[in-house]
Amino acid sequence: MRTNSASLSSPTATTAQSVTVPGEVPGAEIRGLKVVFQTPAGPMPAVNDVDLDLPLGTITGLVGESGSGKSTLALAMMNAVPKPGHIAAGSIRLPSVTDMTRLQGKALRLARGTALGYVFQASQNSLNPLKRIGAQLLDLGRAHGMEDKGALLRHARELCERMGLDPVRTLSAYQHELSGGMRQRVGIVFALILNPSVLVLDEPTTALDMISQRTVLDIIRYVQRERHLATLIITHDIAIVADLADYLVVMYGGRVVEKGPTRHVLQRAAHPYTEGLIAAIPRISGDIDRAQPLPGRPPDLLSIPRQGCVFRERCAFAIDQCSVQTPGLMPVRVTRRHDALEEDSALLDGQVAACHVRAPAPSAKVST
Amino acid sequence: MSPDSPPSVKVTTGSGKARWARLGRRLGARVLTGVVMVLAVATLTFFLVHSMPGNPIQTEYQTLIARGVSPSLAAQQVAGMYGFVSSKPLIDQYGQYMWHLLQFNLGKSITASGEPVVHLVLSAAPWTIIPVLSGLIVSFLLGVSLGAVAAVRRTNRLGKVLSVSGSLFHGVPQFVWAVMLAYLFTTLLPIFPFGSPYNILDTPGWNGPFILSLVYSAILPVLAYALSSYGGWLLTMRSSVVTVLGDDFVLAAELRGLRPLTQLRYVARNAFLPLFTTLLLSVGFMFGGSIFIEEVFDYPGLGYQLVNAVNARDYPLMSGDFLFITVAVIAANILADFLYTFIDPRVRKAA
Ligand SMILES: Nc1ncnc2c1ncn2[C@@H]1O[C@H](COP(=O)(O)OP(=O)(O)O)[C@@H](O)[C@H]1O
Ligand code: SF4
Ligand SMILES: [Mg+2]
Repeated sequence: MRTNSASLSSPTATTAQSVTVPGEVPGAEIRGLKVVFQTPAGPMPAVNDVDLDLPLGTITGLVGESGSGKSTLALAMMNAVPKPGHIAAGSIRLPSVTDMTRLQGKALRLARGTALGYVFQASQNSLNPLKRIGAQLLDLGRAHGMEDKGALLRHARELCERMGLDPVRTLSAYQHELSGGMRQRVGIVFALILNPSVLVLDEPTTALDMISQRTVLDIIRYVQRERHLATLIITHDIAIVADLADYLVVMYGGRVVEKGPTRHVLQRAAHPYTEGLIAAIPRISGDIDRAQPLPGRPPDLLSIPRQGCVFRERCAFAIDQCSVQTPGLMPVRVTRRHDALEEDSALLDGQVAACHVRAPAPSAKVST
Repeated sequence: MSPDSPPSVKVTTGSGKARWARLGRRLGARVLTGVVMVLAVATLTFFLVHSMPGNPIQTEYQTLIARGVSPSLAAQQVAGMYGFVSSKPLIDQYGQYMWHLLQFNLGKSITASGEPVVHLVLSAAPWTIIPVLSGLIVSFLLGVSLGAVAAVRRTNRLGKVLSVSGSLFHGVPQFVWAVMLAYLFTTLLPIFPFGSPYNILDTPGWNGPFILSLVYSAILPVLAYALSSYGGWLLTMRSSVVTVLGDDFVLAAELRGLRPLTQLRYVARNAFLPLFTTLLLSVGFMFGGSIFIEEVFDYPGLGYQLVNAVNARDYPLMSGDFLFITVAVIAANILADFLYTFIDPRVRKAA
């Protein structure tokens, strides 16, 4: 299936693909995922050659500017890529589903919600405005064969309480009677009611005020711990996940350009794009005067380079190789230079980046 | 806030009693505005009607002359009408008209020899209301269901054919439908009766043959109403469904794995909502159509009565017909507004 991963041929590169620490149980395993949209200029990949592991009991933050393919990746996890797009290659394994990309019809419908809970980017309006919330939860339960209304409602009330919502009032309310923050929490209730082990939240705090943001993030952390979920939080704002995520995955132009434990990625970002994202945020870069907006604009489907590094048009470090060869994800090393001749480099635990300059392939094994 | 002690949040939902009180107040206010509007329209029509060129006696006189009646005989016949035509100043007539109106007295018809206008209007009303409502219901049900199909199937042949049919039907005015149907099915292919709302050989009353002939004669007018509004319903429903299909909650329902039938119900109810108001508001439009349709099918309804009243300058009857139509439209408006609060929870709060 790895038709587009020419750079993965070396054994070093392949082992470096996985961020999973030994002993962690995979919640979701995405391999070689490619999502293509039909455009007037032909098929264009919005997600390309993505490998991603979401271990149970961890939170992964997926960051990148808008248009990098984050939502498309999340929708692909539900096998719900909107037309004119489709999953062109790859597999998505969930604890209860061998390969989400191969499901269709009723099996797919039943897997949605049960195998993977999804909190929508526009969760503000993810409910039928004409129906009470409790009644919609019952619709959801019924759709997945949960005939025991009582048990379902008990679970719903308990979840509401966990979210800090008044259960009775919330379940008998209509969507418009809830504030933005409450709606988002109700969105999480809907995502968790069928007990999935994987939870995907697309921009869960966008459009919320600061206090609601805080509350929602706290709740995510809290249910995550309680339910031992594999959580993926998608955001264009790296600051949102800086404290929350165990792992960071950085996407650009449909590709994963860097990933690794949050601490490492934030402290020693290897990829120039990750550096740029971090530098753009005052809270993390530390100094509001030094916060630098990332120059240039993210590519859209039509302007993503087909060959070479996707970031090269905005990259200050680009070399000739960058325009001909697509960099693969390689282990990131920290190098301390003692003098001109002696180098001492150490592998940073599980951190990988796709950059010819910052994370070069071991020279002997480069395959062009 | 600590994640272990989430804050309790209050949700505002209207309690039963307060809601009914609110609804009652709202309805009261709407009815009051409605009454004021009716009085305003009554005033307007009174002066408009009386400012029409010509007067009843002169018009009748000329009609008689045109029919070949000798001037002296015509003058003699017309003399009988003087008793019904007021010669007071217009402003005094207006005062009297409004005063009577408040007592539900619309005056006496000039042409129908002093018959109370209220009687005339009420006896004509069923001939309009029943076909109008039947046509409305038929076209609404047909247009709305096919519009939903046209929206869901909008990318394939069926959807496109339905949309085109909607545009075509919508483009044809009511009177063209009436003339076309009359020509096709009473002249070219004479399978329907013409010129009477029932078979004159049957004895009027609650008997089978009479009712059957009523229904039979009503088919063409009802069809004319239905065909003239079918296209509008189809197009409106189609665009409403397309809009709702693009709403976030529809995608959400799909991604949560709701049953296809449940998803359809969610979409249908949301798409139907804006049409519901239009349905009641279109009552006025249908009444307008009755003027042509009843003329073509010789149907003794309000439209037919109104045209004759205008031609004869029968001021009280004209005003009475206008007023009845106004009241019907305003009542439909209030009903729409009121019922809407029941089917859309979002306006309940604003109520
Ligand atoms: N339905 C669609 N049709 C065509 N192109 C799309 C569609 N959805 C997304 N795209 C394109 O795919 C790319 C990735 O979009 P998206 O996944 O929404 O990015 P993100 O969530 O990171 O902002 C964008 O260039 C966008 O224009
Ligand atoms: S591969 Fe080249 S262009 Fe891409 S980020 Fe690294 S240096 Fe920049
Ligand atoms: Mg997005």
